[in-house]
Amino acid sequence: MSIIQINNLKKSFGLNEVLKGIDLTIAKSEVVVIMGPSGSGKSTLLRCLNFLEEPSDGIIRIGEFQVDIDGKLDRRRKKEIRELRKITGFVFQSFNLFPHKTAIENVMEGPIIIHGTKLDEARNIAQDLLIKVGLGDRCNHYPAQLSGGQQQRVAIARSLALNPVVMLYDEPTSALDPELVKEVLQVIKDLAKEGMTMVIVTHEMNFAKEVADRVIFMDNGVIVEQGTSDEIFLKPKEARTRQFLSIVE
Amino acid sequence: MDVTIILDSLPSLLKATLMTICLAGISIIIALIIGFFTAIIRIVKVSILNGIATTYVSIIRGTPLLVQIFVIYYGLPQIGIALDPISSGVMALSLNAGAYLSESFRASILAVDNGQMEASLSMGMTYSQALKRIILPQSLRIAIPTLSNSFIVLIKDTSLVSVITVTELLQMSSLIIAKTFEPLTIYLIAAAIYWVLITFFTTLLDKLEVRTSKYLVR
Repeated sequence: MSIIQINNLKKSFGLNEVLKGIDLTIAKSEVVVIMGPSGSGKSTLLRCLNFLEEPSDGIIRIGEFQVDIDGKLDRRRKKEIRELRKITGFVFQSFNLFPHKTAIENVMEGPIIIHGTKLDEARNIAQDLLIKVGLGDRCNHYPAQLSGGQQQRVAIARSLALNPVVMLYDEPTSALDPELVKEVLQVIKDLAKEGMTMVIVTHEMNFAKEVADRVIFMDNGVIVEQGTSDEIFLKPKEARTRQFLSIVE
Repeated sequence: MDVTIILDSLPSLLKATLMTICLAGISIIIALIIGFFTAIIRIVKVSILNGIATTYVSIIRGTPLLVQIFVIYYGLPQIGIALDPISSGVMALSLNAGAYLSESFRASILAVDNGQMEASLSMGMTYSQALKRIILPQSLRIAIPTLSNSFIVLIKDTSLVSVITVTELLQMSSLIIAKTFEPLTIYLIAAAIYWVLITFFTTLLDKLEVRTSKYLVR
């Protein structure tokens, strides 16, 4: 069974329709990279998956939790959205670490608050994850004391701490200095090898070629075309895709 | 100027200072509670309460404290609520400072980057969990400088309560001057005492700000 299923997802900001009915199915362990020009709706699509934007219409199912958008935003619906968020990890462009908590406290926060994990156990979970992203020696540093690349890796560890069934990345390296991009992409690659299902919005073409099982090209609120990275990068079918690639490359 | 006058009046002035400190202290605590909940009500937009809170802040900020003191002390007895001078003073000062503090709290909560709320919600936290664990701890640090300002104003405003016969520092000074005819000396002593009080308080809050900001140091 697929991990993510999206049917006819629509999102408007006022009169501006940003997503014009997206259908998308993502299988377990699949790594999907979404590309497209700015304003194409790729970040909005990702944010709708976690209800950071309230979609206007459609159905979103992640794992076993399904939310029909046409329902009202009542108590039950809010709980559905929360359940759905608990099983998805979301990584932001600007990291959004909690600045008043140390690296390890950032990672412990989810298990303690969301899963009700005991303090000692949460600390063990967090420590293992920080070691995994190569920051075992930075546990007690505050975010302000870490580089951008290190902060983003803590943010990934923080998401992983909730054992998500899927990880969503919204331009995870766009705010980073070029020399720090690699360390973050390496962590994502390692997760891909472990079979983590991931949806990544990024402009890193080489990374997409290397890691993506499927590349989706979006423009103007619709999926223009999708396929393997070879299909999209080497022999794109649509004129719009070719035009975009010629500018980016 | 007679030194004995200063020495003779000092005990009474210090006793009155204690009253000023009590007035300010109790009012600050009540004002903090009022201000905090008013801010939360206005941020979360709790239906009817939001309207009440907004009106309260608007009325307090739009009228002089002296008028508020008179309404409470001289006005309320007419509808059967007669409070003694000290209670009236505390009530006026707390309601007044509470309105200003609520604006400080509100601004400082709104000043926390929206990404913090998004990160909390995306983990599956409820809105109130995010507020309590992530937003408020950060906003309190942001609030300290403006809170400090409100506290200074509140300490000075206690002098207004002298008009309803509370024997705080200013009222006591006037009483002593009526006996000694030394307005310059006595008022300067009173001014010095206010200055010491306020300096002590602001130093304390500056220290708190440094302490709560330690996580921002690289």
